[in-house]
Amino acid sequence: MQMFPKQEVVAMLLAGGQGSRLGVLTKKLAKPAVPFGGKYRIIDFPLSNCVNSGIEAVGILTQYQPLILNEYIGNGQPWDLDGMHSGVNCLSPYQAIQGADWYSGTANAIYQNINYIERYDPDYVVILSGDHIYKMDYNKMLEYHKEKNAACTIAVIDVPLSEASRFGILNTYEDGEIYEFDEKPEHPKSTNASMGIYIFSWKELRKYLTEDAELEGSSHDFGKDVLPAMLNAGERMFAYPFEGYWKDVGTIDSLWEANMDLLDPKVTLDLKDIYSRNPMMPPHYVSPNANIQNSLIADGCEVEGNLEFSILFSGVTVGKGATVNSSIIMPGAVIEDGATVQFAIVAENTVVGKNAKVGQRPEEVEDRDNWGIAVIGENTKIADGAFIKAKEMIDSETEVSAK
Amino acid sequence: MRSNDVLGFIFAGTLDDKIPELAASRTTASIPVGGKYRVIDFALSNMSNAGINNVGIIAKSNFLSLTDHVGSGSAYDLSKRRSSLTLLTPYGGKSFGSYVETIYNMHGYLENCREEYVLLSPGNVITNFDYTDLFDFHSKNGADITVVYKNGVVPAGYDRPLTVDVDETGKVEQIFVKPSATDEVVNHVLGTILLKKSLLMEEIRKALSLNQLDFKRLLQDMIGKYKVYGFENTGYTAAISSINSYFNFNMDLMKKEVRDELFNPKHPIFTKVRDDAPSKYGLNSSVKNCIIAQGCVIDGEVENCVISKGVYVGEGAKLSNCIIMQDTKIGKNTNLNYVIIDKDVVIKDDRSLMGFDSYPIYIAKKSVV
Repeated sequence: MQMFPKQEVVAMLLAGGQGSRLGVLTKKLAKPAVPFGGKYRIIDFPLSNCVNSGIEAVGILTQYQPLILNEYIGNGQPWDLDGMHSGVNCLSPYQAIQGADWYSGTANAIYQNINYIERYDPDYVVILSGDHIYKMDYNKMLEYHKEKNAACTIAVIDVPLSEASRFGILNTYEDGEIYEFDEKPEHPKSTNASMGIYIFSWKELRKYLTEDAELEGSSHDFGKDVLPAMLNAGERMFAYPFEGYWKDVGTIDSLWEANMDLLDPKVTLDLKDIYSRNPMMPPHYVSPNANIQNSLIADGCEVEGNLEFSILFSGVTVGKGATVNSSIIMPGAVIEDGATVQFAIVAENTVVGKNAKVGQRPEEVEDRDNWGIAVIGENTKIADGAFIKAKEMIDSETEVSAK
Repeated sequence: MRSNDVLGFIFAGTLDDKIPELAASRTTASIPVGGKYRVIDFALSNMSNAGINNVGIIAKSNFLSLTDHVGSGSAYDLSKRRSSLTLLTPYGGKSFGSYVETIYNMHGYLENCREEYVLLSPGNVITNFDYTDLFDFHSKNGADITVVYKNGVVPAGYDRPLTVDVDETGKVEQIFVKPSATDEVVNHVLGTILLKKSLLMEEIRKALSLNQLDFKRLLQDMIGKYKVYGFENTGYTAAISSINSYFNFNMDLMKKEVRDELFNPKHPIFTKVRDDAPSKYGLNSSVKNCIIAQGCVIDGEVENCVISKGVYVGEGAKLSNCIIMQDTKIGKNTNLNYVIIDKDVVIKDDRSLMGFDSYPIYIAKKSVV
């Protein structure tokens, strides 16, 4: 039998969700694989956090459209997760003697992989999700967990009271012990929003996962079933206050905002020590006619046009006289001469034809409710001179002709 | 001939005495170029792209930066069960003064490799060249030796350039060792030579026994005795053989046709990667006609420059016609023109440095100005 060295902590990253609120951006890939920040994918953040916190065993639970994610993670080398007896593994649902099952909920996904976790004989398991942008030392949270002698610790962030009703709120005693979960409360009692980061003592978690699996009518979800069951049973559960940048990027607006935050000098998030797979491309070229202000540009781009408050991923071309403003242009996309792209997300390898116009400024739209970020799916061709309105979403692999 | 039957053999120190500034603490092969590459990346990528599995790199001295850069060879896909990259350094007090002695002293490595052929390659040449064309040419002609030549003026820095006369079939009629480089357009050989390993070792042993240590002479003596062919590399080629040719190559990258040819996605150029964030342009930046790598923060005005990874250009700085190597910091309100700045340099606020078109000034690694 192969012996795996004991790991004090094993991280399990939930990456199976569809992320349907991101629309065409997640048509062919799971949400954690969505490109972010000019060269990253969302999953680079929790993965890099794991490595920077000294966690050497990471299981990634995949289910929805796993191809691109699997390929991206590969052997885990970019994150130093390619150890001989540890590292990263993509864990998809599988067939077994007793039958085959999709992951029916977050807790079920972990339950089906108890074998994977037990190989490392861990004391603690960290449960992470693949749709948040933040930098965090999970070690500090683990110290806190140990100090409180908790069965479960949940990271929380202080949100403005006005926004608290959009989050899962944790109500705690003064020492941080949780006495109540309040999912999206109408009248929030506190502003401690759950960040979707849990540390469990493995023995306790295994017990509750096993009980939950046998419970009829359970949706096998951490938030809805396992955590409330633990609280009801009187387990010690604590909220760990986190200070720093944290953003859920589950919607088009929040994804766009989080990208734009990278251009804001007031935002504390920096990209140091976030690792990713690097495409093999030469440095980018800026032509004599280009005009670039406050933007991020990755390798392999060719910029001949105007760029403001925008992010170009690798291998993007911006043609002569084209203008890109407050937009995110994903790898390999081409903005042809004279085109205007503003307040938009253009997905991979899409071509915006000459003099086409994508997206609108807020002041160009009469009714503020009709304004939003325009999104164009991957491998799409927007014809020369075509116009894509604000908030419009164009499917991937299509062609849009000029009217 | 199959590519996996060819061993790559690169001389890392080619002409390092001609570029004393840049090669002060490194081999010619590991001089940083084009914002994120080292010169040897081109030779190694060409070999890897052609399907060569094993590459030996001869480095006589100053090889720390080279070892650090090429590592295990995994960046070039040369570190697998059936492929490897081996750094060959002097040992046992043997002489590595000449090509002939160097090759002889590496006979153990050469003979241990299972490949039948060896491709000798200089460490200072930048080109994106499909070696499989060379291999086909060599087999088709039943050649014993094929030298790759370039038609043009011999680059400055080559003291005794090797030139060839070829007939219409590509057969080499004569090999000359010119007394010096001139402005003449000639077929010159920069050092890429394909031949059977056994033939090379036989000739090297013979030359040594005759105390004939001149490799160029050895090649000349092969005419008539063997079928020697010349294969023209018609693509863009830069030989790093002087500080001016170094400067000019970097500036050539501003030309689209040069970039398209060198960075052809079908034959990518690989290099060691670093986890740099995309480069950030500030609100008052102005960048015109520049090559810029990742990890930079540009707050000043930059024109006609090659900026390597991790460089910081402060507010109000004015840079033109400069090559700035990695992690250098250029302070606020500085004014730099025709300056080559090595790695990890700090140019403090308000400094001015001016070189000239034909005489770019050089600031050494880790200097503080």
